[in-house]
Amino acid sequence: MDKIESAAESRKLLNKITFDLTRSIVKKDELTRFWFFILIMFAGVGLWGWTIQFSTGLGVTGMRDYVSWGMYIANFVFFVAVSLIGFLISSALHLLKINWAKPVSRVAEQVAIAAVALAGVIIIMDMGRPDRFLNIFLHGRFASPIIWDVTVITTYLVISLLLFYIPLIPDLALMRDRMGKELPKWQIKLYTVLALGWKGKAEQYKIIYHTLRILMLLIIPVGLSIHTVTSWLFAATLRPGWDTSILGPYFVAGAFVAGTAAVIVVMYIYRLRYNLKDYFQDLHFNYMGKLLVFVCLVYLYFNINEYLVPGYKMKLADGIHLTELFKGNHSGMFWIVQLTGLLLPIVLLLFPYFRKPLPIAIISLIVMISAWFKRYLIVIPTLEHPFLPVQNVPVNFQNYSPTSTEIMITIFSFVAAFLIISVLAKLFPVIAIWEYAEDQGIDKKYLTENLKN
Amino acid sequence: MNRKISFLTIVTLFLSVQANAQDWPVPADQNNRVNPQEYNLANVNKGKDLYLKNCKSCHGDPGKNNALPLVPPPVDVTSDKMQKNTEGGLYYKITNGRGAMPQFKTTISDDDRWKIVNYISNFSPKKQPLLVDAPPVKAKLLASVNERERKVEVFAESENNGIFTKLPNTPITVSTKKAFGNIEMGKVLTDENGRAEFVIPETVIGDEQGNVNIVVSLDDNYIADIVTLDKAKVGQLKPTPKLIQKGILWSTNENIQIWLLFSYIAAAGGAWLTIGYIVFQIAKIKRLSKE
Ligand code: HEC
Repeated sequence: MDKIESAAESRKLLNKITFDLTRSIVKKDELTRFWFFILIMFAGVGLWGWTIQFSTGLGVTGMRDYVSWGMYIANFVFFVAVSLIGFLISSALHLLKINWAKPVSRVAEQVAIAAVALAGVIIIMDMGRPDRFLNIFLHGRFASPIIWDVTVITTYLVISLLLFYIPLIPDLALMRDRMGKELPKWQIKLYTVLALGWKGKAEQYKIIYHTLRILMLLIIPVGLSIHTVTSWLFAATLRPGWDTSILGPYFVAGAFVAGTAAVIVVMYIYRLRYNLKDYFQDLHFNYMGKLLVFVCLVYLYFNINEYLVPGYKMKLADGIHLTELFKGNHSGMFWIVQLTGLLLPIVLLLFPYFRKPLPIAIISLIVMISAWFKRYLIVIPTLEHPFLPVQNVPVNFQNYSPTSTEIMITIFSFVAAFLIISVLAKLFPVIAIWEYAEDQGIDKKYLTENLKN
Repeated sequence: MNRKISFLTIVTLFLSVQANAQDWPVPADQNNRVNPQEYNLANVNKGKDLYLKNCKSCHGDPGKNNALPLVPPPVDVTSDKMQKNTEGGLYYKITNGRGAMPQFKTTISDDDRWKIVNYISNFSPKKQPLLVDAPPVKAKLLASVNERERKVEVFAESENNGIFTKLPNTPITVSTKKAFGNIEMGKVLTDENGRAEFVIPETVIGDEQGNVNIVVSLDDNYIADIVTLDKAKVGQLKPTPKLIQKGILWSTNENIQIWLLFSYIAAAGGAWLTIGYIVFQIAKIKRLSKE
């Protein structure tokens, strides 16, 4: 975009942008309070469920000897998958110089932070003795994929936080300088501390660009590892359905589908709730729709590989597993998931109409739900069919079904993720103001113009 | 099963047209061959085992005339037709077979085929039968191990109303006791003094210390307590499989592969060093603001 020469025009535009993009922070109405009330209440219920599980033991879940990874682990894989979107949008698309993705990247980082943080929490909630989590650090074995997973998830969380924080610094300074009247004292204080006394010097901007570039490069291997290592937790065991070499890329491709859908949903909510039609434009939804089709096609390709090759051979254990999926106990869920999670978005999103904000948001929501059930289908049916026959065990050992406590705790993870995203949106602009202003042709010097001190 | 039999019958019918059903000639040099296996109880017993495994399905139980109804029929072992054969003749027929009678040249060793001949001879009117369906005799076994010479020394006696007489020419079975049953190491016959010496094969595998539990027993014709010699140090050391070995991915930290540890440290270390650098840069932003 061309540079705006006149100072007055620049200031006017900057004021408008700042006003629009901080609306989410300033706005305080019944709906916001209600939303937080609902979230905190459900989170409370979930935590209560967890105390039940903590004091009674894992017996309150549906997990038994054979299916020892249940809904929690499926949920964990889902959250890790969703978190991968941070890597795709804020790094891969940036490095490819795809400009339309810029306003979306902070949303992607929000989603990534919330998802990966919760992934860690879910694992601890899956443990009957959470205190033993420390054993990972005290007695962990470097040859164990679990150690790799813990390492890579922590690393990814830290990088995501940095990717969220560093481009935020100029905005924090901006809010520190301009919002004194509208916001409570503690909030301004928080911005002041986090802004690190930002003065908008050229060297400071240089550091921001420099560090962002390094982080974007760093997050590529870490991002790929986070989901590949998660897939290795499965692929490194000898089990029908998991014992395949394409599980890594299969997981990564599936993660992009789930993450893209999640970002579209969050984008749509922001657009509606904070009146950001001019920022999350139809154009963004259109492109995100095309991106979703693309990642779905990649995922479809891996799905065909995942099922066609073993399905062609039908080796004993794989055969049982696939029969179970295709026409057995899990077939209903399987076909619905394949249809609504893969074929539907591919077909519908080819039409421009469905890439409009509302239709695509609905489709994305469906894709997300399917993605969650897809993880369920990856984890549970395999465990129900070990290589050695299941004999002489009570009926509830043979088939898994989650208990209400388990569902309560699983819902907690969703609620907690929404809570994190909501708090982030309540505290920080959902689009980088300075970046956006610069794109509109406003010179950087206007950003720090009215410094207080 | 029935279908198998009728199939065999048809095959037999067909073949019998070509072969002269009545007469199975044996070349003279074969006919006069002498059985190299001694006619004794051990060999006859071994022959009996082989007969039960390989021949009974067609020829039936000796003396019961319950052979399969094939044409020409597999004759009863006690029948004249069978016993008319010389030992060499029997050996020739078992070796080569004819029609429905299979050849055993390739499935049973020479010695064992001769032992089957010994078993058939047990029913010969010209020979003194060694296998008698007499009631089992009460007996007593004494045994000890000579660890240095790797020998089991046995003394066997029969008992009759408190009077003990030594048991000559009696087969003694020596086995090793394993978790799921006994494995036979071999058989040995007692001498005229009722004594026998069994040389323990070098290949016997003991426990972790090389200890073998040896079981000495008489056959079904005797009622005798089995003698168990515990912990004889005559076996090879049991190879202990190392469940956790080097080079196995799911192993302990001490056994971790260097390349794996190196990759892990390089990857994690690289990432965290970069993160450290970024944090350092953030601190620099703060410093720049103060200038
Ligand atoms: C498949 C069934 C079958 C089996 C098994 C079998 N036989 Fe025969 N046997 C026959 C038949 C049938 C004949 C008659 C062959 C003929 O006269 O052409 C025969 C004939 C013989 C004869 C020749 C008898 C005579 O007419 O002089 C001898 C000896 C003999 N069998 C021994 C054995 C021995 C020993 C075994 C086991 C190692 C054995 N057979 C296993 C079917 C069988």
